[in-house]
Amino acid sequence: MSNENITEPVINSAESASAAADNFEPAGSAAPNTNAADSLLDFDDDPLSATGVSRKSLVIFFLIDTSGSMKGKKMGELNTVMEELIPEIRRVGEADTEVKVAVLTFSTEVRWMYSAPIPIEEFEWARLRASGVTSLGAAFKELSLRMSRNSYLNSPSLSFAPVIFLMTDGYPSDDYKEGLRELQSNSWYKFGLKAALGIGSEANDNVLAEFTGSADTVVHAYSGSQLAQMIKIIAVTSSQIGSKSMTLSDETGRELAEEDVFAAKQKLLGQQIQELVSNQVEDSDVPFDTGW
Amino acid sequence: MFNGFSHSVMGASHEKTGLVCQDSSAHKVTEHYAIAVVADGHGSKKHFRSNLGSQFAVEATIEAIDRFFEDYDEFISNFPANHKMIIKNIQKQVISNWNNRVNAHLAENPVTADEKSKFTDEEFEKIPPESYYGSTLIAAVAAENFTFGLQIGDGSLVAIFDDGEAVMPMEYNEAAPANVTASICNSNAASMFSGFYVENKKLIAMYASTDGLYTSFGSEYDFLDYHTIITSQLTNVETFKTVIVNNLTKRSRYGTEDDISLSCVFSEELLNENIGLINEKVEENKQRSAERKAERLTKKI
Repeated sequence: MSNENITEPVINSAESASAAADNFEPAGSAAPNTNAADSLLDFDDDPLSATGVSRKSLVIFFLIDTSGSMKGKKMGELNTVMEELIPEIRRVGEADTEVKVAVLTFSTEVRWMYSAPIPIEEFEWARLRASGVTSLGAAFKELSLRMSRNSYLNSPSLSFAPVIFLMTDGYPSDDYKEGLRELQSNSWYKFGLKAALGIGSEANDNVLAEFTGSADTVVHAYSGSQLAQMIKIIAVTSSQIGSKSMTLSDETGRELAEEDVFAAKQKLLGQQIQELVSNQVEDSDVPFDTGW
Repeated sequence: MFNGFSHSVMGASHEKTGLVCQDSSAHKVTEHYAIAVVADGHGSKKHFRSNLGSQFAVEATIEAIDRFFEDYDEFISNFPANHKMIIKNIQKQVISNWNNRVNAHLAENPVTADEKSKFTDEEFEKIPPESYYGSTLIAAVAAENFTFGLQIGDGSLVAIFDDGEAVMPMEYNEAAPANVTASICNSNAASMFSGFYVENKKLIAMYASTDGLYTSFGSEYDFLDYHTIITSQLTNVETFKTVIVNNLTKRSRYGTEDDISLSCVFSEELLNENIGLINEKVEENKQRSAERKAERLTKKI
Protein backbone atom coordinates (compact mmCIF):
# COMPACT_ATOMS: atom_id res chain seq x y z
CA MET A 1 0.00 0.00 0.00
CA SER A 2 1.19 3.46 -0.80
CA ASN A 3 1.24 5.80 2.13
CA GLU A 4 1.48 8.89 0.02
CA ASN A 5 -1.15 11.56 0.37
CA ILE A 6 -2.96 9.90 3.19
CA THR A 7 -5.23 12.16 5.12
CA GLU A 8 -5.69 10.85 8.59
CA PRO A 9 -9.33 10.19 9.33
CA VAL A 10 -11.01 13.28 10.59
CA ILE A 11 -13.38 12.26 13.34
CA ASN A 12 -15.71 15.16 13.50
CA SER A 13 -16.92 16.35 16.78
CA ALA A 14 -20.43 17.67 16.82
CA GLU A 15 -20.93 21.28 16.21
CA SER A 16 -23.73 22.94 18.03
CA ALA A 17 -26.32 23.93 15.50
CA SER A 18 -27.27 27.02 17.39
CA ALA A 19 -23.69 28.02 18.05
CA ALA A 20 -23.03 27.92 14.34
CA ALA A 21 -26.30 29.58 13.55
CA ASP A 22 -25.66 32.36 16.01
CA ASN A 23 -22.83 33.57 13.84
CA PHE A 24 -25.27 34.44 11.12
CA GLU A 25 -26.89 37.74 10.60
CA PRO A 26 -30.63 37.20 10.86
CA ALA A 27 -32.58 38.40 7.85
CA GLY A 28 -35.14 40.04 10.07
CA SER A 29 -36.70 39.87 13.48
CA ALA A 30 -39.72 37.86 12.34
CA ALA A 31 -40.83 34.85 14.35
CA PRO A 32 -39.47 31.59 12.98
CA ASN A 33 -42.37 30.80 10.72
CA THR A 34 -41.92 29.04 7.39
CA ASN A 35 -40.29 31.70 5.28
CA ALA A 36 -38.55 33.71 7.92
CA ALA A 37 -37.01 30.57 9.40
CA ASP A 38 -35.53 29.56 6.11
CA SER A 39 -34.23 33.00 5.37
CA LEU A 40 -32.28 33.15 8.63
CA LEU A 41 -29.62 30.91 7.24
CA ASP A 42 -30.06 31.58 3.56
CA PHE A 43 -27.28 33.21 1.68
CA ASP A 44 -27.41 34.57 -1.81
CA ASP A 45 -24.34 32.53 -2.55
CA ASP A 46 -25.66 29.26 -1.06
CA PRO A 47 -26.21 27.05 -4.08
CA LEU A 48 -27.80 24.42 -1.84
CA SER A 49 -30.80 26.59 -1.03
CA ALA A 50 -32.34 25.34 -4.30
CA THR A 51 -33.59 22.30 -2.39
CA GLY A 52 -35.85 23.37 0.46
CA VAL A 53 -35.83 22.24 4.07
CA SER A 54 -38.85 20.19 5.07
CA ARG A 55 -40.29 20.22 8.55
CA LYS A 56 -42.35 17.56 10.24
CA SER A 57 -45.61 17.47 8.35
CA LEU A 58 -49.28 17.01 9.18
CA VAL A 59 -51.64 15.98 6.38
CA ILE A 60 -55.31 16.85 6.79
CA PHE A 61 -57.48 14.58 4.66
CA PHE A 62 -60.96 15.96 3.92
CA LEU A 63 -63.45 13.34 2.71
CA ILE A 64 -66.32 15.26 1.20
CA ASP A 65 -69.68 13.96 0.05
CA THR A 66 -70.50 15.47 -3.36
CA SER A 67 -73.57 13.32 -4.04
CA GLY A 68 -76.74 14.85 -5.53
CA SER A 69 -78.35 15.42 -2.13
CA MET A 70 -75.62 17.97 -1.32
CA LYS A 71 -76.74 20.14 -4.23
CA GLY A 72 -77.82 23.73 -3.56
CA LYS A 73 -77.36 25.42 -0.21
CA LYS A 74 -75.26 22.67 1.42
CA MET A 75 -72.66 22.57 -1.34
CA GLY A 76 -72.69 26.33 -1.74
CA GLU A 77 -72.04 26.84 1.99
CA LEU A 78 -69.41 24.12 2.08
CA ASN A 79 -67.49 25.69 -0.81
CA THR A 80 -67.59 29.08 0.86
CA VAL A 81 -66.55 27.75 4.26
CA MET A 82 -63.68 25.74 2.84
CA GLU A 83 -62.38 28.74 0.91
CA GLU A 84 -62.40 30.76 4.12
CA LEU A 85 -61.00 27.94 6.20
CA ILE A 86 -57.75 27.42 4.31
CA PRO A 87 -56.19 30.75 5.42
CA GLU A 88 -57.32 30.01 8.99
CA ILE A 89 -55.63 26.61 9.05
CA ARG A 90 -52.43 28.21 7.75
CA ARG A 91 -52.17 29.99 11.07
CA VAL A 92 -53.02 26.93 13.13
CA GLY A 93 -50.07 24.61 12.71
CA GLU A 94 -47.19 25.06 15.10
CA ALA A 95 -44.37 27.04 13.51
CA ASP A 96 -42.26 23.95 13.04
CA THR A 97 -45.04 21.92 11.38
CA GLU A 98 -45.74 21.83 7.69
CA VAL A 99 -49.49 21.44 7.20
CA LYS A 100 -50.65 19.80 3.97
CA VAL A 101 -54.15 19.30 2.68
CA ALA A 102 -55.65 16.49 0.57
CA VAL A 103 -59.30 16.51 -0.50
CA LEU A 104 -61.12 13.37 -1.61
CA THR A 105 -64.63 13.81 -2.97
CA PHE A 106 -67.09 10.97 -3.29
CA SER A 107 -70.34 10.66 -5.18
CA THR A 108 -70.86 8.08 -7.93
CA GLU A 109 -67.08 8.25 -8.36
CA VAL A 110 -64.27 9.12 -5.98
CA ARG A 111 -61.92 11.92 -7.02
CA TRP A 112 -58.99 13.77 -5.46
CA MET A 113 -58.86 17.52 -5.79
CA TYR A 114 -55.07 17.34 -6.40
CA SER A 115 -52.81 14.42 -7.24
CA ALA A 116 -50.94 14.71 -3.91
CA PRO A 117 -51.26 16.50 -0.55
CA ILE A 118 -50.56 20.20 -1.10
CA PRO A 119 -48.74 22.47 1.39
CA ILE A 120 -51.38 24.72 2.90
CA GLU A 121 -49.56 27.85 1.69
CA GLU A 122 -50.00 26.68 -1.90
CA PHE A 123 -53.46 25.16 -1.57
CA GLU A 124 -56.35 26.68 -3.48
CA TRP A 125 -59.86 25.40 -3.06
CA ALA A 126 -61.57 24.17 -6.24
CA ARG A 127 -65.31 24.77 -5.98
CA LEU A 128 -67.15 21.47 -5.87
CA ARG A 129 -70.39 20.48 -7.62
CA ALA A 130 -72.82 17.86 -6.42
CA SER A 131 -74.39 14.99 -8.34
CA GLY A 132 -74.73 11.20 -8.20
CA VAL A 133 -74.87 8.66 -5.36
CA THR A 134 -72.91 8.33 -2.08
CA SER A 135 -70.01 5.88 -2.60
CA LEU A 136 -68.56 6.16 0.90
CA GLY A 137 -67.14 2.61 0.88
CA ALA A 138 -65.23 3.37 -2.32
CA ALA A 139 -63.91 6.55 -0.70
CA PHE A 140 -62.66 4.59 2.32
CA LYS A 141 -60.87 2.17 0.02
CA GLU A 142 -59.30 4.96 -2.03
CA LEU A 143 -58.18 6.73 1.13
CA SER A 144 -56.63 3.54 2.46
CA LEU A 145 -54.77 3.01 -0.80
CA ARG A 146 -53.30 6.53 -0.78
CA MET A 147 -52.51 6.75 2.93
CA SER A 148 -49.25 4.91 2.45
CA ARG A 149 -45.50 5.56 2.45
CA ASN A 150 -45.58 4.43 -1.18
CA SER A 151 -48.21 6.95 -2.15
CA TYR A 152 -49.47 10.22 -0.66
CA LEU A 153 -47.34 9.95 2.48
CA ASN A 154 -44.02 9.35 0.72
CA SER A 155 -42.20 12.46 1.89
CA PRO A 156 -38.84 11.58 3.50
CA SER A 157 -39.54 14.12 6.23
CA LEU A 158 -41.25 12.87 9.35
CA SER A 159 -45.04 12.96 9.59
CA PHE A 160 -47.51 13.36 12.37
CA ALA A 161 -50.38 10.89 12.16
CA PRO A 162 -52.87 12.46 9.75
CA VAL A 163 -56.17 14.18 10.50
CA ILE A 164 -59.09 12.58 8.64
CA PHE A 165 -62.26 14.66 8.46
CA LEU A 166 -65.41 13.18 6.89
CA MET A 167 -68.39 15.31 5.83
CA THR A 168 -71.55 13.74 4.49
CA ASP A 169 -75.28 14.37 4.39
CA GLY A 170 -76.72 10.93 3.82
CA TYR A 171 -76.54 7.18 4.09
CA PRO A 172 -73.89 5.43 1.96
CA SER A 173 -75.23 3.88 -1.23
CA ASP A 174 -72.48 1.24 -1.42
CA ASP A 175 -71.08 -1.35 1.01
CA TYR A 176 -69.30 1.14 3.27
CA LYS A 177 -68.54 -1.57 5.85
CA GLU A 178 -66.23 -3.42 3.49
CA GLY A 179 -64.41 -0.17 2.66
CA LEU A 180 -64.19 0.72 6.34
CA ARG A 181 -62.72 -2.69 7.21
CA GLU A 182 -59.98 -2.07 4.66
CA LEU A 183 -59.36 1.41 6.03
CA GLN A 184 -59.30 0.15 9.61
CA SER A 185 -56.35 -2.11 8.78
CA ASN A 186 -54.32 0.92 7.63
CA SER A 187 -51.86 2.07 10.34
CA TRP A 188 -52.17 5.74 9.37
CA TYR A 189 -55.92 5.46 9.97
CA LYS A 190 -55.38 3.63 13.27
CA PHE A 191 -53.08 6.35 14.59
CA GLY A 192 -54.78 9.26 12.82
CA LEU A 193 -57.23 11.72 14.34
CA LYS A 194 -60.71 11.05 13.01
CA ALA A 195 -63.71 13.40 13.10
CA ALA A 196 -66.98 13.54 11.18
CA LEU A 197 -69.66 16.06 10.40
CA GLY A 198 -73.20 15.05 9.51
CA ILE A 199 -74.88 17.66 7.34
CA GLY A 200 -78.68 17.91 7.69
CA SER A 201 -80.97 15.42 9.40
CA GLU A 202 -80.44 12.54 6.98
CA ALA A 203 -76.81 11.94 7.97
CA ASN A 204 -76.45 8.75 9.98
CA ASP A 205 -74.64 9.17 13.31
CA ASN A 206 -73.92 5.47 13.66
CA VAL A 207 -72.10 5.31 10.36
CA LEU A 208 -70.10 8.39 11.24
CA ALA A 209 -69.22 7.04 14.70
CA GLU A 210 -68.13 3.76 13.14
CA PHE A 211 -65.70 5.78 11.04
CA THR A 212 -64.32 7.94 13.86
CA GLY A 213 -64.39 5.19 16.48
CA SER A 214 -66.36 7.27 19.01
CA ALA A 215 -69.56 9.34 19.19
CA ASP A 216 -67.89 12.42 20.68
CA THR A 217 -65.93 13.12 17.50
CA VAL A 218 -69.17 13.25 15.47
CA VAL A 219 -71.09 16.52 15.19
CA HIS A 220 -74.05 17.78 13.20
CA ALA A 221 -74.89 20.89 11.24
CA TYR A 222 -78.49 21.64 10.39
CA SER A 223 -78.01 25.04 8.77
CA GLY A 224 -75.50 27.03 6.78
CA SER A 225 -74.16 28.97 9.74
CA GLN A 226 -73.82 25.77 11.80
CA LEU A 227 -71.98 24.14 8.92
CA ALA A 228 -69.46 26.98 8.90
CA GLN A 229 -69.03 26.80 12.69
CA MET A 230 -68.67 23.01 12.82
CA ILE A 231 -66.22 22.73 9.95
CA LYS A 232 -64.04 25.39 11.53
CA ILE A 233 -64.24 23.83 15.00
CA ILE A 234 -63.27 20.37 13.76
CA ALA A 235 -60.61 21.42 11.26
CA VAL A 236 -58.88 23.89 13.56
CA THR A 237 -59.06 21.73 16.72
CA SER A 238 -57.89 18.57 15.00
CA SER A 239 -54.99 20.38 13.29
CA GLN A 240 -53.93 21.86 16.61
CA ILE A 241 -54.00 18.52 18.38
CA GLY A 242 -52.60 16.64 15.40
CA SER A 243 -49.52 18.83 15.16
CA LYS A 244 -48.76 18.67 18.87
CA SER A 245 -45.89 16.47 20.00
CA MET A 246 -47.40 14.83 23.08
CA THR A 247 -45.29 13.42 25.84
CA LEU A 248 -44.37 9.80 25.44
CA SER A 249 -44.03 9.08 29.11
CA ASP A 250 -46.35 9.19 32.09
CA GLU A 251 -45.67 10.83 35.44
CA THR A 252 -43.62 7.87 36.67
CA GLY A 253 -41.29 8.22 33.69
CA ARG A 254 -42.56 4.99 32.16
CA GLU A 255 -42.61 5.26 28.38
CA LEU A 256 -46.10 5.09 26.93
CA ALA A 257 -46.79 2.94 23.92
CA GLU A 258 -47.45 4.85 20.70
CA GLU A 259 -50.99 3.50 20.70
CA ASP A 260 -51.65 5.14 24.06
CA VAL A 261 -50.40 8.51 22.83
CA PHE A 262 -52.66 8.41 19.78
CA ALA A 263 -55.62 7.20 21.84
CA ALA A 264 -55.01 10.13 24.20
CA LYS A 265 -54.97 12.56 21.26
CA GLN A 266 -58.24 11.15 19.85
CA LYS A 267 -59.86 11.41 23.29
CA LEU A 268 -58.68 15.00 23.67
CA LEU A 269 -60.11 15.82 20.24
CA GLY A 270 -63.50 14.42 21.28
CA GLN A 271 -63.49 16.42 24.52
CA GLN A 272 -62.49 19.68 22.85
CA ILE A 273 -64.98 19.31 20.01
CA GLN A 274 -67.83 18.63 22.44
CA GLU A 275 -66.81 21.56 24.62
CA LEU A 276 -66.63 23.95 21.67
CA VAL A 277 -69.88 22.70 20.17
CA SER A 278 -71.75 23.16 23.46
CA ASN A 279 -70.51 26.77 23.60
CA GLN A 280 -72.01 27.66 20.24
CA VAL A 281 -74.80 30.21 20.30
CA GLU A 282 -78.33 29.25 19.31
CA ASP A 283 -78.81 29.26 15.60
CA SER A 284 -81.51 31.34 13.97
CA ASP A 285 -80.50 30.40 10.44
CA VAL A 286 -82.87 28.53 8.11
CA PRO A 287 -82.29 24.78 8.44
CA PHE A 288 -81.00 22.86 5.41
CA ASP A 289 -83.99 20.53 5.57
CA THR A 290 -86.58 23.30 5.29
CA GLY A 291 -88.21 22.88 1.92
CA TRP A 292 -86.25 19.69 1.14
CA MET B 1 -6.59 11.67 -6.89
CA PHE B 2 -9.37 11.38 -4.31
CA ASN B 3 -10.46 14.11 -1.99
CA GLY B 4 -13.29 14.39 0.54
CA PHE B 5 -14.94 16.06 3.48
CA SER B 6 -17.09 15.03 6.42
CA HIS B 7 -19.08 16.88 9.01
CA SER B 8 -21.59 16.30 11.81
CA VAL B 9 -23.96 18.87 13.27
CA MET B 10 -25.90 18.46 16.46
CA GLY B 11 -29.70 18.55 16.26
CA ALA B 12 -31.61 21.32 17.98
CA SER B 13 -33.78 18.74 19.74
CA HIS B 14 -30.66 17.34 21.42
CA GLU B 15 -29.70 20.77 22.64
CA LYS B 16 -33.11 21.13 24.25
CA THR B 17 -32.92 17.78 26.00
CA GLY B 18 -29.27 18.13 26.97
CA LEU B 19 -28.28 15.10 24.91
CA VAL B 20 -24.88 15.27 23.22
CA CYS B 21 -24.59 14.72 19.47
CA GLN B 22 -25.07 11.05 18.71
CA ASP B 23 -23.61 11.22 15.19
CA SER B 24 -20.02 10.71 14.10
CA SER B 25 -18.46 11.05 10.68
CA ALA B 26 -15.06 10.63 9.07
CA HIS B 27 -13.36 10.35 5.72
CA LYS B 28 -10.00 9.14 4.61
CA VAL B 29 -8.29 9.47 1.24
CA THR B 30 -5.23 7.60 0.04
CA GLU B 31 -3.59 7.32 -3.34
CA HIS B 32 -5.60 4.19 -4.21
CA TYR B 33 -8.84 4.36 -2.30
CA ALA B 34 -11.06 6.65 -0.30
CA ILE B 35 -13.59 6.04 2.48
CA ALA B 36 -16.57 8.12 3.59
CA VAL B 37 -18.26 6.94 6.75
CA VAL B 38 -21.00 8.14 9.08
CA ALA B 39 -22.70 6.61 12.11
CA ASP B 40 -25.77 7.59 14.12
CA GLY B 41 -25.88 6.54 17.77
CA HIS B 42 -29.39 5.45 18.75
CA GLY B 43 -29.62 7.99 21.56
CA SER B 44 -32.52 6.40 23.41
CA LYS B 45 -32.55 5.49 27.08
CA LYS B 46 -30.80 2.12 27.01
CA HIS B 47 -28.21 3.30 24.46
CA PHE B 48 -26.78 5.82 26.90
CA ARG B 49 -23.27 5.71 25.46
CA SER B 50 -24.25 5.73 21.80
CA ASN B 51 -22.38 8.96 21.07
CA LEU B 52 -19.22 6.92 21.76
CA GLY B 53 -20.67 3.93 19.93
CA SER B 54 -21.01 5.96 16.73
CA GLN B 55 -17.46 7.24 17.07
CA PHE B 56 -16.18 3.67 17.56
CA ALA B 57 -18.19 2.60 14.50
CA VAL B 58 -16.48 5.07 12.16
CA GLU B 59 -13.05 4.25 13.61
CA ALA B 60 -13.71 0.51 13.41
CA THR B 61 -14.73 0.83 9.76
CA ILE B 62 -11.70 2.78 8.65
CA GLU B 63 -9.44 0.37 10.52
CA ALA B 64 -11.09 -2.66 8.86
CA ILE B 65 -10.98 -1.25 5.35
CA ASP B 66 -7.37 -0.12 5.77
CA ARG B 67 -6.47 -3.63 6.82
CA PHE B 68 -8.10 -5.19 3.75
CA PHE B 69 -6.33 -2.73 1.45
CA GLU B 70 -3.01 -3.25 3.22
CA ASP B 71 -1.56 -5.39 0.45
CA TYR B 72 -3.10 -3.30 -2.29
CA ASP B 73 -2.02 -5.35 -5.32
CA GLU B 74 -3.22 -8.60 -3.85
CA PHE B 75 -6.50 -7.07 -2.66
CA ILE B 76 -7.45 -5.63 -6.05
CA SER B 77 -6.59 -8.86 -7.80
CA ASN B 78 -8.87 -10.89 -5.48
CA PHE B 79 -11.66 -8.47 -4.73
CA PRO B 80 -13.58 -8.31 -8.04
CA ALA B 81 -13.94 -12.10 -8.25
CA ASN B 82 -14.79 -12.59 -4.58
CA HIS B 83 -16.43 -9.30 -3.65
CA LYS B 84 -19.47 -10.82 -1.93
CA MET B 85 -17.38 -12.92 0.41
CA ILE B 86 -14.82 -10.19 1.00
CA ILE B 87 -17.47 -7.55 1.78
CA LYS B 88 -19.00 -10.02 4.25
CA ASN B 89 -15.58 -10.41 5.83
CA ILE B 90 -15.12 -6.64 6.00
CA GLN B 91 -18.49 -6.36 7.76
CA LYS B 92 -17.44 -9.02 10.28
CA GLN B 93 -14.14 -7.24 10.82
CA VAL B 94 -15.96 -3.94 11.42
CA ILE B 95 -18.18 -5.59 14.05
CA SER B 96 -15.19 -7.22 15.69
CA ASN B 97 -13.22 -3.93 15.74
CA TRP B 98 -16.26 -2.12 17.16
CA ASN B 99 -16.76 -4.72 19.90
CA ASN B 100 -13.08 -4.48 20.82
CA ARG B 101 -13.39 -0.73 21.23
CA VAL B 102 -16.60 -1.05 23.23
CA ASN B 103 -15.13 -3.70 25.52
CA ALA B 104 -11.96 -1.68 26.08
CA HIS B 105 -13.94 1.46 26.84
CA LEU B 106 -16.27 -0.36 29.20
CA ALA B 107 -13.35 -1.98 31.01
CA GLU B 108 -11.77 1.41 31.58
CA ASN B 109 -15.06 3.20 32.23
CA PRO B 110 -17.49 0.96 34.10
CA VAL B 111 -21.13 2.01 34.15
CA THR B 112 -21.57 4.80 36.67
CA ALA B 113 -24.20 5.02 39.39
CA ASP B 114 -25.69 7.98 37.55
CA GLU B 115 -26.03 5.99 34.34
CA LYS B 116 -27.61 3.11 36.26
CA SER B 117 -29.99 5.35 38.15
CA LYS B 118 -32.28 5.65 35.13
CA PHE B 119 -33.21 1.97 35.39
CA THR B 120 -34.48 -0.51 37.95
CA ASP B 121 -31.95 -3.29 38.68
CA GLU B 122 -34.12 -5.71 36.79
CA GLU B 123 -34.33 -3.43 33.73
CA PHE B 124 -30.60 -2.80 33.77
CA GLU B 125 -29.72 -6.50 33.95
CA LYS B 126 -31.68 -7.12 30.76
CA ILE B 127 -29.61 -4.68 28.66
CA PRO B 128 -26.65 -6.31 26.91
CA PRO B 129 -23.56 -4.11 27.59
CA GLU B 130 -22.87 -3.51 23.88
CA SER B 131 -26.37 -1.97 23.61
CA TYR B 132 -25.18 0.97 25.71
CA TYR B 133 -23.16 1.95 22.63
CA GLY B 134 -25.72 1.04 19.88
CA SER B 135 -25.25 2.79 16.55
CA THR B 136 -25.95 2.62 12.84
CA LEU B 137 -23.17 2.70 10.27
CA ILE B 138 -22.93 3.65 6.59
CA ALA B 139 -19.63 3.44 4.72
CA ALA B 140 -18.79 4.22 1.10
CA VAL B 141 -15.50 3.03 -0.41
CA ALA B 142 -14.12 4.18 -3.76
CA ALA B 143 -11.14 2.61 -5.51
CA GLU B 144 -9.83 2.87 -9.05
CA ASN B 145 -11.96 0.18 -10.70
CA PHE B 146 -14.65 -0.54 -8.17
CA THR B 147 -16.93 1.07 -5.65
CA PHE B 148 -18.63 -0.57 -2.70
CA GLY B 149 -20.59 0.24 0.39
CA LEU B 150 -21.90 -1.27 3.57
CA GLN B 151 -24.67 -0.24 5.89
CA ILE B 152 -26.41 -1.33 9.03
CA GLY B 153 -29.48 0.62 10.19
CA ASP B 154 -30.93 3.84 8.79
CA GLY B 155 -29.04 6.30 6.63
CA SER B 156 -28.36 6.88 2.97
CA LEU B 157 -25.65 6.36 0.44
CA VAL B 158 -25.67 8.33 -2.81
CA ALA B 159 -23.28 7.83 -5.71
CA ILE B 160 -22.72 9.87 -8.85
CA PHE B 161 -20.97 7.97 -11.62
CA ASP B 162 -19.78 9.51 -14.89
CA ASP B 163 -23.28 9.55 -16.39
CA GLY B 164 -23.96 12.37 -13.91
CA GLU B 165 -27.06 10.76 -12.35
CA ALA B 166 -27.35 10.71 -8.55
CA VAL B 167 -28.34 7.18 -7.50
CA MET B 168 -28.78 5.19 -4.30
CA PRO B 169 -26.93 1.98 -5.10
CA MET B 170 -27.39 0.18 -1.77
CA GLU B 171 -29.10 -3.18 -2.16
CA TYR B 172 -31.11 -3.43 1.00
CA ASN B 173 -31.00 -6.63 2.95
CA GLU B 174 -34.53 -7.95 2.74
CA ALA B 175 -33.71 -10.59 5.34
CA ALA B 176 -33.22 -7.96 8.04
CA PRO B 177 -36.47 -7.83 10.05
CA ALA B 178 -38.42 -4.67 9.20
CA ASN B 179 -39.69 -4.01 12.71
CA VAL B 180 -36.28 -4.14 14.38
CA THR B 181 -33.83 -1.24 14.13
CA ALA B 182 -30.71 -2.79 12.70
CA SER B 183 -27.72 -1.88 14.81
CA ILE B 184 -24.07 -2.71 15.05
CA CYS B 185 -24.80 -3.72 18.65
CA ASN B 186 -27.20 -6.53 17.67
CA SER B 187 -25.94 -10.02 18.44
CA ASN B 188 -26.77 -10.96 14.84
CA ALA B 189 -25.37 -7.71 13.38
CA ALA B 190 -23.40 -9.57 10.70
CA SER B 191 -26.63 -10.84 9.14
CA MET B 192 -28.25 -7.39 9.21
CA PHE B 193 -25.78 -5.56 6.97
CA SER B 194 -26.77 -4.34 3.53
CA GLY B 195 -24.19 -3.74 0.84
CA PHE B 196 -23.44 -3.04 -2.80
CA TYR B 197 -20.60 -3.49 -5.24
CA VAL B 198 -20.13 -1.79 -8.62
CA GLU B 199 -17.30 -2.59 -10.98
CA ASN B 200 -15.84 -0.77 -13.99
CA LYS B 201 -17.94 2.33 -13.59
CA LYS B 202 -16.14 5.61 -13.09
CA LEU B 203 -17.22 7.22 -9.84
CA ILE B 204 -17.24 11.00 -9.61
CA ALA B 205 -18.46 11.33 -6.03
CA MET B 206 -20.07 9.29 -3.28
CA TYR B 207 -21.81 10.37 -0.10
CA ALA B 208 -22.83 8.68 3.15
CA SER B 209 -25.32 10.46 5.39
CA THR B 210 -27.27 9.79 8.57
CA ASP B 211 -31.06 9.85 8.39
CA GLY B 212 -31.27 13.39 9.79
CA LEU B 213 -30.26 14.58 6.32
CA TYR B 214 -32.81 12.47 4.40
CA THR B 215 -35.65 13.45 6.69
CA SER B 216 -34.95 17.15 6.12
CA PHE B 217 -36.25 16.80 2.55
CA GLY B 218 -39.79 16.90 1.24
CA SER B 219 -39.09 14.44 -1.56
CA GLU B 220 -36.54 11.88 -2.63
CA TYR B 221 -36.01 13.87 -5.85
CA ASP B 222 -34.90 16.86 -3.80
CA PHE B 223 -32.62 14.64 -1.74
CA LEU B 224 -30.86 13.31 -4.85
CA ASP B 225 -30.74 16.74 -6.52
CA TYR B 226 -29.05 18.09 -3.39
CA HIS B 227 -26.16 15.68 -3.92
CA THR B 228 -25.81 16.73 -7.57
CA ILE B 229 -25.60 20.37 -6.48
CA ILE B 230 -22.96 19.49 -3.87
CA THR B 231 -20.96 17.67 -6.54
CA SER B 232 -21.09 20.76 -8.78
CA GLN B 233 -19.43 22.73 -5.96
CA LEU B 234 -16.57 20.33 -5.23
CA THR B 235 -14.18 21.89 -7.75
CA ASN B 236 -13.57 24.43 -5.02
CA VAL B 237 -13.89 22.11 -2.05
CA GLU B 238 -12.08 24.25 0.51
CA THR B 239 -14.51 27.15 0.03
CA PHE B 240 -17.43 24.74 -0.13
CA LYS B 241 -16.64 23.23 3.27
CA THR B 242 -17.99 26.36 4.97
CA VAL B 243 -21.08 26.37 2.78
CA ILE B 244 -21.91 22.74 3.58
CA VAL B 245 -21.50 23.22 7.33
CA ASN B 246 -23.90 26.18 7.20
CA ASN B 247 -26.35 24.25 5.10
CA LEU B 248 -26.33 21.15 7.30
CA THR B 249 -26.82 23.41 10.30
CA LYS B 250 -29.82 25.01 8.63
CA ARG B 251 -31.25 21.64 7.64
CA SER B 252 -30.91 20.35 11.17
CA ARG B 253 -32.33 23.45 12.75
CA TYR B 254 -35.35 23.90 10.50
CA GLY B 255 -35.81 20.31 9.42
CA THR B 256 -36.49 17.58 11.95
CA GLU B 257 -34.02 18.96 14.54
CA ASP B 258 -32.03 15.73 14.39
CA ASP B 259 -28.25 15.37 14.23
CA ILE B 260 -27.00 15.35 10.64
CA SER B 261 -23.79 13.87 9.30
CA LEU B 262 -22.53 13.92 5.75
CA SER B 263 -19.32 12.39 4.53
CA CYS B 264 -18.08 12.55 0.94
CA VAL B 265 -15.27 11.20 -1.19
CA PHE B 266 -14.73 12.21 -4.79
CA SER B 267 -12.30 11.87 -7.65
CA GLU B 268 -10.82 15.28 -8.44
CA GLU B 269 -9.76 14.14 -11.89
CA LEU B 270 -13.14 12.76 -12.92
CA LEU B 271 -14.94 15.72 -11.42
CA ASN B 272 -12.87 18.17 -13.46
CA GLU B 273 -13.46 16.11 -16.60
CA ASN B 274 -17.21 15.98 -16.00
CA ILE B 275 -17.99 19.30 -14.35
CA GLY B 276 -19.82 20.49 -17.48
CA LEU B 277 -22.09 17.43 -17.34
CA ILE B 278 -22.74 17.90 -13.61
CA ASN B 279 -23.67 21.55 -14.12
CA GLU B 280 -26.04 20.52 -16.91
CA LYS B 281 -27.64 17.99 -14.54
CA VAL B 282 -28.12 20.68 -11.89
CA GLU B 283 -30.01 22.82 -14.41
CA GLU B 284 -31.97 19.83 -15.71
CA ASN B 285 -32.97 18.89 -12.15
CA LYS B 286 -34.18 22.44 -11.46
CA GLN B 287 -36.32 22.29 -14.58
CA ARG B 288 -37.76 18.88 -13.66
CA SER B 289 -38.45 20.02 -10.12
CA ALA B 290 -40.41 23.03 -11.45
CA GLU B 291 -42.38 20.72 -13.77
CA ARG B 292 -43.20 18.34 -10.91
CA LYS B 293 -44.38 21.24 -8.79
CA ALA B 294 -46.59 22.61 -11.58
CA GLU B 295 -48.13 19.16 -12.05
CA ARG B 296 -48.70 18.79 -8.31
CA LEU B 297 -50.51 22.14 -8.15
CA THR B 298 -52.84 21.34 -11.04
CA LYS B 299 -56.40 20.88 -9.83
CA LYS B 300 -57.93 17.58 -10.85
CA ILE B 301 -61.51 18.64 -10.21
